[in-house]
Amino acid sequence: MTANTAARDIEAPGVRIRDLTVVYKTPAGELPAVRGVDLALAPGTITGVVGESGSGKSTLALSLLNAVQPPGRIAAGSVEIDGLGDVLTLRGEDLRRARGRQVGYVFQAAQNSLNPLKTIGKQLLDLGRSHEVEDLRGLVREAKDLLARMGMDGARVLDSYQHELSGGMRQRVGIMLALVLNAKVVVLDEPTTALDMITQATILRIIREVHEERALTTLVITHDVGAVAEVADSLAVMYGGRVVEHGPVTEVLGEARHPYTQGLIRAIPRLTGDLSLARALPGRPPTLGTLPAQGCVFRERCERRMEVCETDEPVAVNRDGRTVACHAADRHLTLIKRKEFV
Amino acid sequence: MITGTGITKVFKQRGGVLGAREVPALRGVDFAIAKGGAVSFIGESGSGKTTLGRIIAGLESHDAGEIVIDDVPMSSLSHRRRQPYFRRVQLIHQDPYSALNPTRTIHQTLEAPLKLRAKQTGRPRSWVDGRAAELLAMVGIDPGYVLPRYPHQLSGGMRQRVVIARALTMDPEVLVADEAVSMIDVSLRLGILALLKDLRERLNVGVLFITHDIATARYIGDDGELYVLYRGQVVERGATEKIIADPVHPYTQSLLSAIPVLHGLERPGAERVVPREMQREGEPDGGCLFARRCPFSTERCANEMPVLAREEDVEQEYACFHPRRRSVIPVGVGE
Amino acid sequence: MTVIVNPEGAISPDALPAGTTRATLRRNFWRGVWRVLRRKPSRMAGVVIVALFALMGVAGPLLYPAQLPRDDNALYAPPSLAHPFGTDFEGTDVLALVVTGARYVLLTGLATAVITVALGTLIGLVAGFHRGRWDTLLMRLTDMNLAIPGLPLLLVLSTVWKFESPLEMGLVLGVLGWGGIARAVRSQTLSLRERGFIEAARGLGLPTRHIIGRELLPSMAPYIAMNMLIAVTGAVYAQVGLFFLGVLPFESNNWGVMLNLAVFNGGALTTPAALPYLLAPLIAILVLTLGIVLIVDAMDEIFNPRLREE
Repeated sequence: MTANTAARDIEAPGVRIRDLTVVYKTPAGELPAVRGVDLALAPGTITGVVGESGSGKSTLALSLLNAVQPPGRIAAGSVEIDGLGDVLTLRGEDLRRARGRQVGYVFQAAQNSLNPLKTIGKQLLDLGRSHEVEDLRGLVREAKDLLARMGMDGARVLDSYQHELSGGMRQRVGIMLALVLNAKVVVLDEPTTALDMITQATILRIIREVHEERALTTLVITHDVGAVAEVADSLAVMYGGRVVEHGPVTEVLGEARHPYTQGLIRAIPRLTGDLSLARALPGRPPTLGTLPAQGCVFRERCERRMEVCETDEPVAVNRDGRTVACHAADRHLTLIKRKEFV
Repeated sequence: MITGTGITKVFKQRGGVLGAREVPALRGVDFAIAKGGAVSFIGESGSGKTTLGRIIAGLESHDAGEIVIDDVPMSSLSHRRRQPYFRRVQLIHQDPYSALNPTRTIHQTLEAPLKLRAKQTGRPRSWVDGRAAELLAMVGIDPGYVLPRYPHQLSGGMRQRVVIARALTMDPEVLVADEAVSMIDVSLRLGILALLKDLRERLNVGVLFITHDIATARYIGDDGELYVLYRGQVVERGATEKIIADPVHPYTQSLLSAIPVLHGLERPGAERVVPREMQREGEPDGGCLFARRCPFSTERCANEMPVLAREEDVEQEYACFHPRRRSVIPVGVGE
Repeated sequence: MTVIVNPEGAISPDALPAGTTRATLRRNFWRGVWRVLRRKPSRMAGVVIVALFALMGVAGPLLYPAQLPRDDNALYAPPSLAHPFGTDFEGTDVLALVVTGARYVLLTGLATAVITVALGTLIGLVAGFHRGRWDTLLMRLTDMNLAIPGLPLLLVLSTVWKFESPLEMGLVLGVLGWGGIARAVRSQTLSLRERGFIEAARGLGLPTRHIIGRELLPSMAPYIAMNMLIAVTGAVYAQVGLFFLGVLPFESNNWGVMLNLAVFNGGALTTPAALPYLLAPLIAILVLTLGIVLIVDAMDEIFNPRLREE
C-alpha cells in the first residue's frame, strides 16, 4: 500500500505526440488515417479529442499505446511520455509492461470488452499476474477502493460476471481496470457512448474526480462535443486525420477559429439558442478513400474555401496557446504582416 | 390521428429458481398524435419509450388499453384487418446500417413496397420508378447516384434518408423515429432532424420522436409535445419548449441537468438536479417510482403513487407531489 | 417539389450509370463472381478441378466402349504408359474405371446436395420465420430426421432396393440428410428476422413470399451455397463408403466398389501389386474434395455485394 501511496505523489507525466503519421494498407495503396499530428498533453490535464467517423481519433488513441494493428502501421513520428520515453520505440515485453503500468486504456464500448466467462475479480487477478504484481491482496484492495470511490460495492462487483452489471457499471469497471495498476496516463475511448444521459453525466463526473485525486494525465476520445466540454481542460478537434484546432476548451468552444469547429458547434442539438441558426454541415465526413491527396482536407465542406485550399495543406499555426490549421483563419494575420512589409 | 389510452405492457422474464418474473414496461400510458403533429417520448433505457413506439407501429402487442387510428379502435378488428391501419404508421429504425438489406440495391429496396402501393391504389406499374426518384429527392438525396447502389456504398446519413424514403412509400400518417439520429455523425444529425421537420410541413405527416436526448426533440418543430417517461409511466407532459424551459418533475430536471454544458458558450443552470442513486434493475414498485432516486422525496412519495395531472397556473401535466420549478438547463454566456 | 433540405448526397452523381434493371444486375453479379474467383489462384484451381470432374461425369463414359476391354495377361499390372494407374484384377485399365465411374458418383452427390439443401432450407426458413406452432412441428420432424440411424437404415433398404440409378441413391441420401441444414438455417433465420430490414419489410406489409424469398434467402445465400458444396463431398463419401462396405450390388466401374475389391480381393493393404488400384479412386475423391473446398472459400465474397465489388 505504501508503494501505491508514494506513486500517487509523483507528478503527472506530460505526453508529447510529434509529427505522428499512421497509414492503413488498402487496395489503393497506403493511406494516412492520421497525418502529421502534433499534440502535447500538459501534465495533470484532461485533453479531449473530438472527431467524427474517419477523423482518425481512435487510431491516434491506439498510437499512444503503440497498439495500431495491421493493416495499420505507424509510419512516422514519436509519442514521448515522461518517465517512459518514446512509446513507439518500445517492443515486446517492455511495451506490454508499459500498457497498464504506465498507460491505462479504457476501450471503446468498455461495456462489451470484459470477458463474459470470468468474474471481474478473476480478470483483475489475471491482469495483476500478467504484470508481475507481487501483492495481489493489495491489488484487490486497491480495486475495491477504486470501485467504492466510483459508488459501487467493490466486493460484490468483483464477484460478478459481466452480464450481471449494467452498462454504466461496466464502464466504471473498465476505468477501474485501467487505473488499478497506477497508470498515470489514461486514455478513454468513447467513454460514454451508448449510455443514458444521467449515467453519462455520472461517468463524466467520476472521470473528472478520479483524474484530480490521482493526478493523472487523461486523454478522452469521443465524437460527442458535449461530453468533452463537460470534462476536458483542453480540446483538440480532428478532421480527416489532422488536428485542425487545439486549445483551452472554453476558448475553442466560445470562439472557434477553424470553420470545421464552428460548423460542428452550430450542428450540435442544444437546449438553448436560436433554432434557426442551427444547421448541419453540408457534405459528409471523409473516409480513407475519399480524402483529397493535396490541399485542405476540409475544403469540400467549407464555406470559406479559397483557391489556396485546393493546392496547399494549411500549416498548424500556434498563437496564444491555441493552434489552428486553416488558410482562412490566418488570412487577416497574413494581410497585416504584408502591410508591415510594405 | 392516433390515440392511445391506458396502454399497458408487461414483459415476462424467465427467471431462475423463482420462475417467471413480471416486469412492467408500460403502466397505462395515454397519448395522442395528430396528423402533421410532433410528439416526443423522452426517457432512459427501461423507460418503455421504445416498446411504446413499437406498439404504435403495430410491431408489438400490448396487454391492456386501446389504440385508435382514424377513429377506429384496433381491438375491434381482427389481426388481419388491423394491418392496413398500422401500415399508416411507419417505424424508422435507430440503426441505418441494419435497417437496409445489404444484398439489395436501393432501387430494389424501394421498388418492392412501391409496387405494393401501386397495386393498392390502382396506379400503373410505370409509376413506381418515377415515384422512387421523387421520394429520394424529397429526402434530399440524388436519385441517380443512390438508386443503383448498395447500402454499404452510402454514408450513415444517406442510409437514414433512404430508410425515411422507404417509410414514405406507404404514404404514412405518422413516422415513428426511434433514436433516429443517435448513430449518425454529429455534423449530420441536424440534417436528419430538419428533414423530419420539413416532412411534417410538406406532407403533413406526424412525427413520433423517441430519444434519450431532450435537446434533439426541439429540432423537429417548436410546436411539439413532449412526454417524459420513467419506468413505464408518463411523469411529465406538455409543450416541448415549455418543459425544457420550466420543468417541474425532478426526473425531468435530472434528465435536463445531465445534458453536458458547452463551457465557453454556456454556463450551467443554477439548480442542477442530480439523482441520489443510479437506476437499478428489478426495483420494487410502491409509491412514486422515482422516490428512491429523487433528492426531494418525502415519506408520502414512498407510500403513495402520484398520477399525471394538471394544477392551476402550470401549463404542463406532471406526476409529482412536490413539483417545483428549478433552473437546471444551461444558460447562454451572452444572455 | 424537390426542396433539398441538406444535400448531403447531392455531391456529385459520379460513376455508375443508372443501371437498375434486372439484366444489368445479373450481369454485374456474374462479373463480380469472376472477379472474386480471380482474386486467389487457389479458387481458380478449385474451379478447374471441379470443371474437370464435371467434364468427366458428362463425357467420361463416351470416351470408352460400353464394355471396358480386359487383358488376361496383365492382371494387377503396375503403372505404365498404357495404364497410368495399372490394371485391376481382370486386367481392365484403372484410369478408365475411375473416369467412367465418375458419372454415378457425381450425379449422386449433386442429387443429394440439391435435395438436402432444398428440404433443409425450406423447412428451416418456414420454421424460423413463422415460429410458434409451425416451428414446433417442423423441428420435431427435424429431430426425428436427425435421430434416424442412416447406415443401418441403408443396409436394410439395400436388401430390397438395388439403387441402380444415381438419382435413387441421391434421393435416399438426401431425404436422410437434411436435418442438420434445417436446424442451422432455422437459427440463422431466427437471428436475421430480428434485423431491422426484415422488420421494416413486415411493417411495410410486404407479402411473406417476398420477405422469405427476396430478403431472407439472399442474406443466407453464402451459407446455403457452402452447405450445398459441402453436402456434395458428404454424399460422395457416404455412397463410396456404402459401396466399399459391399452393401450395394457389384459393379466394377464404381469408386467405392473399386476400393472394396482392392482391399478385400486384391489385398492392397498387404501387397503392393494392387496399391495403384486402391489409390486411384482415393486420389479422385481427394482431388474432388479439394476442388470443392477451394471454391467454398469464395462463397462469402460472391454473395456479399461489399466484398464482391472491392
